[in-house]
Amino acid sequence: MSAKAGPPDGPTALPLATQRVAVVGLGRAGVAHAVMLSHVPGCELAGVADPRAAARAALRGMGFKVPAFARVERLLEKVCPDAVVVCAPQHERARMAQLVLEAGIPVLVERPMARTLEEAEALVLLASKRRIPLAVGHPLAFEPVFARVHDVVREGVLGPVQHARSAMFVSRVFAPRPSRGPGRLDPRRVAGGVVAHLGSDLLFVLVRMLGVPVEVRADWNLLYGAVEDELHGMMTLPDGAEVGFDCSWSVPGYSRASTVIELDGPEGKLLASDEALELDLTRAGAGFPAGYSRLRDADFDAPARFDFGGETLWSHDAAFLDWVAGGPVPPNEAFAALDTHRVMDALYRSAAAGGIRVKVAS
Amino acid sequence: MKRTYAAPRLLLSVRSLDGVTRAPRERLLEIQNRFREPESLAVTLVKAVDAGAAGVLGAPSPALRTALAELERVVPIYAVLPALSPQAYRMLEPGVEPLIARTRRDAGLVARLRMHLTGVLRLSTFRRGDFAARAPVLLEAGARLLPRRGVTGIVIAAPLTDAALAGDHRAFFESLPRFVHARFNAAAGFETRNPGLLLQRLREWGVEPDFIVGPVNPRGLGMKPRPVETLTELARGGVPLVAAELRAGGLCNLEEGVRYALEHSAHGVAPDLAEMDEVAVELRGVGGMLAETR
Repeated sequence: MSAKAGPPDGPTALPLATQRVAVVGLGRAGVAHAVMLSHVPGCELAGVADPRAAARAALRGMGFKVPAFARVERLLEKVCPDAVVVCAPQHERARMAQLVLEAGIPVLVERPMARTLEEAEALVLLASKRRIPLAVGHPLAFEPVFARVHDVVREGVLGPVQHARSAMFVSRVFAPRPSRGPGRLDPRRVAGGVVAHLGSDLLFVLVRMLGVPVEVRADWNLLYGAVEDELHGMMTLPDGAEVGFDCSWSVPGYSRASTVIELDGPEGKLLASDEALELDLTRAGAGFPAGYSRLRDADFDAPARFDFGGETLWSHDAAFLDWVAGGPVPPNEAFAALDTHRVMDALYRSAAAGGIRVKVAS
Repeated sequence: MKRTYAAPRLLLSVRSLDGVTRAPRERLLEIQNRFREPESLAVTLVKAVDAGAAGVLGAPSPALRTALAELERVVPIYAVLPALSPQAYRMLEPGVEPLIARTRRDAGLVARLRMHLTGVLRLSTFRRGDFAARAPVLLEAGARLLPRRGVTGIVIAAPLTDAALAGDHRAFFESLPRFVHARFNAAAGFETRNPGLLLQRLREWGVEPDFIVGPVNPRGLGMKPRPVETLTELARGGVPLVAAELRAGGLCNLEEGVRYALEHSAHGVAPDLAEMDEVAVELRGVGGMLAETR
């Protein structure tokens, strides 16, 4: 190990005061947030909302004895939370977030923040006009390895990035999806497939680190249903540099989601994954010496106080609460997330049109 | 007379075959490939027991069951239930009911009848969704996967343990060991990714399962909520902890990890296949270290 692994720069501080937080939508993500929020010091899970009685019962069955409501309006009226985490299904997400914002309450909304780009833009505009914190669920930006990559690139240690390749793979979908019930992905109710559900997290890290591409082209494979299971994209940055982006949830051998970013610049190369950060630099910078350095993920600080199939979500939620309490703006604030949504929308339009070049909306 | 169940001091963990480990992905694939043939795994299990392991810690997966079936001798098993991969957990909706539905789907008629009977006898059908009431039904579903002989312990898998821990579900931790003792005549343990917090809660509640399994290593990896708090709880000497993730995902060697765990009052250790190259040799070495601290 040739460089000290300190905590990633970024919001991993604890909230400043006790906050009463509610969760809307009790699917996998909603429950994970409820669990993590319960273990952020100074945070109290004040209530939950989900129209499905079974989902409310499931959370109660885990031991969470918090007020549970079928409707978000009722939750807001009875609980008056300091902040709300919205994890409703994608087709209802923007409307739920809007309801909370209109009540003047800060929102952390799962990604993608809305099913369509238009809905996402309206949501960000509303939060901006009312000056209410709105953040979007992008935990990868809080994973210590990728937070450090961001710092390395922003400090210009590699020089201007000339080529970038990235991939996110997981073994998840290997059969046609059900036509109803949990697991169904109806294109009228979701923003898309693997990119909307998973890959947009990597896309967020890339866009935040390298800037918004001016143009993209993409092709996709619809293997098991009406939404994409794989997408291969190429994005062109304003300076002409190309960024490759591959994403699939239908490849074997990835029982854990695996993310990789490779960057080449005139001053060095970088390879980052969930497991390690490797750098080969012509000159020292960002706390790394010249030459080859490697840091394992376990070399980085792990600030989370609870692990529930992963611990990054804890830092993510703590940073949002920190912001709500008057702390620094987290990286996943809504404007940054909206840029990602625009790139995702452009990738989808390109793939739907057979891989043509598509300008990214601004 | 009430029977007591001893916590194991040395287990061979095969959790890497279930995909549950902090080992790097390449190492995980290498291990899964190495033990693809049931004969290879069977030989390793026997060598581990001969080297002093009290048993094998792992989900009763098809691979483990096939390996055990290869053997004429009995290898003690500390079976992790429910026997689902991390991927399967991620695919399911939260709560205990989707787990029950999933396991029931794979179960045969007899297993389904037993599940139903377990539910009816415990009135758990009237408490749908409650972890404490419904977990026995889930364990009953897992029973069909267990070998006929050698089941020495039942260990509740971390996703279920940590979900109940998150909700401070005292009744879950109180009632499940009783069910395991009565139904399986085996020790009852809880696997966790939050060992410090679980030890603290168990102490506060006055609940004493036979043991817990969780990460302890010199790098503090996975020792939630904080390494120092975990070590403080360990030093109090409450519920026995069998230390896992001893090599901190490969950042230290096995000897360092075992020594650290034992010096900090871990009752036992469970080195994983992914943490060893020569299983028999390294387990013998660990056995020697355990003997020193006896």
